[in-house]
Amino acid sequence: MIAVRVVLFVVLALVALSPPAIAQDTFPSRPITIVAPFPPGGVADLTARPVAAAMEKALKSPVGVVNKTGAAGAVGMQSVAVAKPDGYTLLLALSSISIIPEADKIFDRKPAFTVDQFAPIALISADPTVLVVPADKPWKTAKDFIEDARNRPGQISYSSSGIYGTLHMAMELLSHAAGIKLRHVPHAGAGPALTAILGGHVDALASGPAVVLPHIKAGKLRALAGWGDKRVAALPDVPTFKELGYPDAEFYIWAGLFAPKATPEPVLSKLRATVREAVNDPDFKTAMDKIETPIAFKQGEEFQRFFDADARRLAAGVRKVGRIETK
Amino acid sequence: MLTVDRVAGAGLAVFALVVLWQSRVLPLGSLANPGPAYMPVALAMLLLIGGLAIAVLGRDAPALRSLGFDEWRHAVAIFAACAFAALALERLGYRLTIFLALLFLLGVVERKRPVVAVVFALAFAAGTYLLFDTLLRVPLPRGPFGL
Amino acid sequence: MLETLHNLAVGFSVALSPPVLLYAFVGCVIGTLVGVLPGVGPLAGISLLLPATFGMDATRAIVMLAGIYYGAMYGGSTTSILMRIPGEAASVMTCIDGYAMARKGRAGAALAIAAVGSYVAGSASVIGLMLLAPPLAAFALRFGPPEYFALLLFGLLVLAYMSSGSMLKSLAMAALGLLLGMIGIDQMSGYFRFAYGVVELGDGLGVVPVAVGLFGLAEILATAGQAVPPKVIEPRLRELLPSRAEWRDAAAPIGRGTVLGFLVGIIPGSAHIISSFVSYALEKKLSKRPEEFGHGAVAGVAGPESANNSATSGAFVPMLALGVPSGPIPAVMLAAMMVHGVSPGPLLIRQQPELFWGFIASMYVGNLVLLILNLPLVGLFVNLLRVPYPYLYPAILTFSILGVYAVNGSVVDVWIMLAMGVLGYILRKLGFETAPIVLGVVLAPMIELALRQSLAMSDGHYAIFFQRPIAAALLAVGLGMMLLSLRSFIRRGLDWRARMALAEKGES
Repeated sequence: MIAVRVVLFVVLALVALSPPAIAQDTFPSRPITIVAPFPPGGVADLTARPVAAAMEKALKSPVGVVNKTGAAGAVGMQSVAVAKPDGYTLLLALSSISIIPEADKIFDRKPAFTVDQFAPIALISADPTVLVVPADKPWKTAKDFIEDARNRPGQISYSSSGIYGTLHMAMELLSHAAGIKLRHVPHAGAGPALTAILGGHVDALASGPAVVLPHIKAGKLRALAGWGDKRVAALPDVPTFKELGYPDAEFYIWAGLFAPKATPEPVLSKLRATVREAVNDPDFKTAMDKIETPIAFKQGEEFQRFFDADARRLAAGVRKVGRIETK
Repeated sequence: MLTVDRVAGAGLAVFALVVLWQSRVLPLGSLANPGPAYMPVALAMLLLIGGLAIAVLGRDAPALRSLGFDEWRHAVAIFAACAFAALALERLGYRLTIFLALLFLLGVVERKRPVVAVVFALAFAAGTYLLFDTLLRVPLPRGPFGL
Repeated sequence: MLETLHNLAVGFSVALSPPVLLYAFVGCVIGTLVGVLPGVGPLAGISLLLPATFGMDATRAIVMLAGIYYGAMYGGSTTSILMRIPGEAASVMTCIDGYAMARKGRAGAALAIAAVGSYVAGSASVIGLMLLAPPLAAFALRFGPPEYFALLLFGLLVLAYMSSGSMLKSLAMAALGLLLGMIGIDQMSGYFRFAYGVVELGDGLGVVPVAVGLFGLAEILATAGQAVPPKVIEPRLRELLPSRAEWRDAAAPIGRGTVLGFLVGIIPGSAHIISSFVSYALEKKLSKRPEEFGHGAVAGVAGPESANNSATSGAFVPMLALGVPSGPIPAVMLAAMMVHGVSPGPLLIRQQPELFWGFIASMYVGNLVLLILNLPLVGLFVNLLRVPYPYLYPAILTFSILGVYAVNGSVVDVWIMLAMGVLGYILRKLGFETAPIVLGVVLAPMIELALRQSLAMSDGHYAIFFQRPIAAALLAVGLGMMLLSLRSFIRRGLDWRARMALAEKGES
């Protein structure tokens, strides 16, 4: 018995210590790592894992997810921006990738990374945020809400996942589009922001639809309007701000796959083709269904246009917010 | 006479002053709307007062010279090994770094027999890697040669 | 009541079915391993194993992940007691008296008390979870920023009770810890404070590198080079288990720790660590022999260990009853549920009774499994102390570096641990206590955020703290406690003078 264990240990040790097989010409010859810059359980993480699983099936080569959290995503994003551009380190970024460099600029900081340090591979999902209020509040429609906000500037409070975060920027875009002033109460992440509104401590929240759906269905929250181009599939009765006459209030919490800019073109094409295949995988579709995130696949020119437009909107929004003045 | 408390109190007071100086770039805000500098400044002032109090009241504390620092060489060596590990962890990879660090600690610092040091270091580096990276799937950095 | 029992029966039938039992067991084992490893706490353990659960049935996955969670709480006490290294942040308080007990040869007793206390707390709090989940959750949700601020102020008061030495020195250490907690992004304004361009410091120093460095590394730096290796009294087999006196001393603290931990745990937020700190202070205040604390008081191990175990069940209350992510770990569990197609939310208990009751039942089972796992291992663990220190500490260092690195895959964390180790070493030499620093690092960002959020909510009016009933009540109680302790302070001073007078009279 002991002898077997010793042999097993020695064999395993040799396997563990041996150098990898000589790199072949074909990519990929090593496991690929997708960096998710947010803690586990968040949107980035929940999207990254099905993507990794589907890509692994398509490539027949391991693809893993690593969480590198910190500084609202800046740590993980920076790590990929400076990673070796060989195609083995990828980033699953959320829309905050456009916000963080702008925020750094406002504070006269050297940006942790810039958007042009990345080469886009594909857009995976693009959830528009929705405006939710506690069910016991008097506003039944978005119009009620906006009118009330106009009559009482700075009195209606909303929570967010953090200053210059995605949920904050969504509200800011609305505020500027509708000409209203709201009171911002930042929280340390999307979870606490949701807890705050469920406890009735704030009056409103801009949130990704997936996490608030169960609460809307249970009657604790009411959705007033969405920031998307189209209505959210799971909330067909909720109009978009575009419909209500505020086309500038467009915001998506989107998730996209990126690689370091200098990754060679053939590797990039292979990755793009893989993602295209992965997105059509039935297991992937079921996984995304389970987390109630519709797939919004865009690539190439389409993705670039979407990304640029979104980045422009957000940059303008961040600049308008500016530094919070403390009297 | 330099007592323990005087040195400690002075050290804390100096640190508090450094914090106050570094906070000058942050807006202070007001009582109704505290800015990012508000709490650090308040705490630094408390620490300043505390440090000064400790220093002033520290006349009856044991003298600085009476502190035993016999183990400082050991401590420095251990620190050096850890610092090396931190520097090399992502460059040389986990296994190689831990192997070298343990070799140093056991062979040089603790002066154990070379064979013992090598076996221990090897077993630990490989064993912990096996347990955590392979079995528990905690990603540990790999260096050159996939080590 | 009858319905609850019926549901519980259903739950047990689910929990005791072999596959579910197996997963609970696996979760507990992995959790214990994760907890024993310094640094890597339950959050890291759960996140690492989350992808492995994707192919499984929802109940089994949740049961396994929960097993990891409270298994880690059991395991965390082991390294705290044996080597003064916190297995995870919540075990920091156990390091103080647990290690002192180990030095006196009572390591086995400490480990046993910790295990039994954790079992009692775990099981009792599961009962609380089962019976009181919905109403408790509704109460917990009413804790907004002002209530949170009042509660955390309580935590600050705790600092005053934690010291066994000079109060002035402890307060200075608390201020230092609070200052260190200011490093990072300011959530209210977006400024990077004291980070000097290092992006990884954006979320602050992190309690894990600070705790492992201040306690573990500092301990090694201070003792490794001693000419005479640290004398650990080796217990005989008979002395491995706690004596009757020790059990008696542990009983009440376990009870108090359970209730306290559960109540603190249900409040959304990372109040977990605070539960063990507050329990320690409470036990010290209530003890007839407070001078024992810091030198091996049984209550100093029993209370905090029970508190942090029942806080785990408490954390599940808002999560299961209302679908509220009440902290980073429940958030991951909620995500795990979503991935498996279970929609978390207020209707979870009604819509998925097998999941809820199976989960509850598996927690009973899991706690029992952990007790059975841990008690016999006490003898094994104590033998670890016999390993000669020159071999032991390099091993501890390896695990510490591994653990601290693994939390976030970041070398910056290792550097923080090193810096804190040096700081802890110097502070020990100069006669300062380091526990208040850890509490300060944990509390500072939370208190500041809660205060500024409350002011944002009220547009700058401090009256909000008195207009909200829970916050006002907490503040009143805190003020009362402070006044009481001031009174005893003054009385002690008068007493001392009276005693001096008596002594002089006696001598003359």
